[in-house]
Amino acid sequence: MKKAPGLRSYTLFYLLFLYGPILLLPIFAFNDSRVVAFPLQGFTTGWFAEMAADQNLRNAAKNSLIIALSVATISTVLGIFAARASVRYRFPGKGPLMSMIMLPLVLPEMIVAMALLVVLLSIGIPLSLFTVILGQTLICTPFAVAILTSAFQSLDRSLEEAALDLGETPWSTFRLIILPLVMPGILASFLICFTISFDEFIIANFLGSGQPILSVYIFGQFRFPAKVPSMLALGTLLVLLSIILLGFAEYMRRRGIAKAGGKVSGGFL
Amino acid sequence: MTATDDRPTMIEFKDVHKYYGDYHALRGINGTIKAGEFFSLLGPSGCGKTTLLRTIAGFEDISSGVIMIDGKDMADVAANVRPTNMVFQSYAIFPHMSVEENVGFGLRKDPRSKEDKARAVAEALEQVGLKGFGKRAAHALSGGQRQRVALARALILKPKVLLLDEPLSALDKKMREHMQVELIKLQRQVGITFILVTHDQEEALVMSDRIAVMFEGEIAQLADPETLYRRPATRKVADFIGTMNFIPASILSEAGDKVEVEAKGLGRVALDIAQAPEKTGETPVVGLRPETLTLLYDDQKAPERETDGVIDEVIYFGDMTYYDVYLGGTDVEVRLSMRNVPGRPVLDVGDRVRVAWSPSALVLFR
Amino acid sequence: MAQTPRSEARTGLKLISPTAIYVILLLAVPLATVLVYSVMTGGRGIVSFPLTFENYAELWSKSVYGYIMLKSLLVALVVTAATVILAYPVAYFVSFHVKPERKSLWLFLITIPFWTSYIIRVSLWFVILGFGGVLDSTLAVVGLQPLNLASYSILSIIIVLAHAYAPFAVLPIFVSLEKVDRSLLEAGQDLGESRWVTFLRVTLPLSMPGVIAAALIVFIPTVGDYVTPELVGDGKEPMIANLIETQLLKLQNFPQGSAFAVASMLMVGIVSVAFVLWNRRFIGGSK
Repeated sequence: MKKAPGLRSYTLFYLLFLYGPILLLPIFAFNDSRVVAFPLQGFTTGWFAEMAADQNLRNAAKNSLIIALSVATISTVLGIFAARASVRYRFPGKGPLMSMIMLPLVLPEMIVAMALLVVLLSIGIPLSLFTVILGQTLICTPFAVAILTSAFQSLDRSLEEAALDLGETPWSTFRLIILPLVMPGILASFLICFTISFDEFIIANFLGSGQPILSVYIFGQFRFPAKVPSMLALGTLLVLLSIILLGFAEYMRRRGIAKAGGKVSGGFL
Repeated sequence: MTATDDRPTMIEFKDVHKYYGDYHALRGINGTIKAGEFFSLLGPSGCGKTTLLRTIAGFEDISSGVIMIDGKDMADVAANVRPTNMVFQSYAIFPHMSVEENVGFGLRKDPRSKEDKARAVAEALEQVGLKGFGKRAAHALSGGQRQRVALARALILKPKVLLLDEPLSALDKKMREHMQVELIKLQRQVGITFILVTHDQEEALVMSDRIAVMFEGEIAQLADPETLYRRPATRKVADFIGTMNFIPASILSEAGDKVEVEAKGLGRVALDIAQAPEKTGETPVVGLRPETLTLLYDDQKAPERETDGVIDEVIYFGDMTYYDVYLGGTDVEVRLSMRNVPGRPVLDVGDRVRVAWSPSALVLFR
Repeated sequence: MAQTPRSEARTGLKLISPTAIYVILLLAVPLATVLVYSVMTGGRGIVSFPLTFENYAELWSKSVYGYIMLKSLLVALVVTAATVILAYPVAYFVSFHVKPERKSLWLFLITIPFWTSYIIRVSLWFVILGFGGVLDSTLAVVGLQPLNLASYSILSIIIVLAHAYAPFAVLPIFVSLEKVDRSLLEAGQDLGESRWVTFLRVTLPLSMPGVIAAALIVFIPTVGDYVTPELVGDGKEPMIANLIETQLLKLQNFPQGSAFAVASMLMVGIVSVAFVLWNRRFIGGSK
């Protein structure tokens, strides 16, 4: 490796820019002042206490949890179907169908949300947590498909044939061979969809009909300066949670590929 | 080489065709494979040999024709109930299972007791020389060991036919030669029909009772190794198997079971009709294997015919020397091989030589 | 499991059908509805015949709408350019100057911020750039004049968006740089080119597909961003998404809102196709 001190310091500076705002989170979450500004005023855990005591926040967190768990489950299941079909089978209309499934990746989220909203309002389906789940599943499924496709692809086709050859039915082959080998991919997909859903704002805001949902709640609270410090405390926790979940997801993904005898490369997506 | 004719038929192909969309992968396969035979499908990549093997296993449907295994039409028989088992090119060892679990995989629905199954697994492992490896993790095995596991896993089900898809291609040369011998021994021991797919002609010749040579979706010749080598049916087969010199020739007369030809540099030769297998319409050539040609030293006499020549190239191989020789003042060049035995000096480029040959070693392609 | 192509097709279709049906019902149908609504006559809360292009005409004639669309486009393009240019050296560094076994770690470090709550990241900027916020108070501590960036809404929006989508840009560029055959670079230098010229003539063109992909990945969500103008711009500088929201939800004019949605999709589509066509130039027309 050639040394490139200029590039290296630029990259470190870039990372600092990326992390800068996030690093402010814990600093001000423990800062004993309602005004988020330097100089710091001393250490407190009061904002965490205030956050924990907020009944609305707890409600919103509970709703977000319900939504994220449902979205992660449904997206992953839909992702398994689509990824397996696209990796393993040739069928007419595969290209257009897969493009349609992956389309939300390249559509501004606002458009997806609004199109769905227009139809829901037109046919008179009341907005609820359920409609948020419907919408977010649409957004998360492409991510699930992408992760699971790489999991299915790293699976040697002859493993499946070997199981059939040794007397198993297609279904028992799926259960005994394919499922255990792609399980890490499934877990990774679940965790990533969970994270995306938990953080998602636009669909939660427009399809949620004002139900307290964490991201929407945070968005609202930041407008009140007095609420900002406790939101920073919340943000600190959420960032920690994200990092833990993602680290775990990445670990599972790597283990999955290694288990199926493949070589690990790249990162997410 | 064992005689195979008296054995019952295990597999029969009747006009088997396979299309992938517009691509005609198998073009009318006919033939039989006998019970207990070590049979090879040999050909260059893309000739359809693997496709044919997979149609036997049931992984590919055929577009038309019939495949019978042990007298039963396989048309509606799924892969998981066919009396065949396969050793895959990649071995397809289940990476999340131990060696034991891999080998015992096919016994899941077997009604035998746990202890009996464990005994069967141990026996199968011993049979392939992996005694005591049962508890190992699959990913901790070497290439050769994986192959043995794949063999044990397939043989434990006592299939009527064992299918081997280029099983040795992933091994290094030494290991490959070692496994060739082991496979032959194993096949004799279990007596099951083995069908081997390979692109390596030497491997096919060494291991098989009979070989089907395939080109472009067709069987070009189905014969035992010796016939295949000595009497290849077409120039293409001759070219694919071993080395053969092709010498331009013209047909002078054909009467009864004799064909008389004029071969460039060799002169007039009378051949038995058996030496001219079938007419394919190509320009006539006669074929000669390098080892059927001999250089005559000093005043040695040729037992049959001899022709003058000039050495154009000398390729020294240690135990052997290959010579490229221009025949009888023509531009026809043949390669011949001589064993380097004491008292037989290696000759030089430009040396004038006498080449002995036998009309009975000739094959005529026309 | 002997399979003719037909039975394979059937199995494949059966398998994909749950996902396909879901996407058709919840994405294709709504998008089609929006398309139809956009050519219908609208009023507050009503959608009716006759079919008309009035909504699109409205979009052209009212300069405020055109201004917002154009502004969104420009903001998105500036953000895209800034993001990609800033990200390129990072991707280059990781691809060419980091030991292979450490590459994933660097990429992981770069991607983590993307996976942390978008809402929180954007809101943090609100706190940083706001009046008397972190930035200005820091400047005050070191004795400088406050910048009051918050009063320059568009600039703040650009900074925040460029930050929010930065990690998106690094990955595709990195992937295309990884694919550059290292021996080509040695060949370039062997032929007497300087490192800089080799970079311009070999590396950069070969990595253009990644650059274009990065540009697309950043452009699409930025042009449709809702949160940043709302929060950082304090709603004073609405972009397309905010406009659509106003029409659809606040004014309940479905046809007009749909026309905006369709127009913005067209805009995104045209820019994306332009990017893709540009990309073709670098890979010799063959995809």
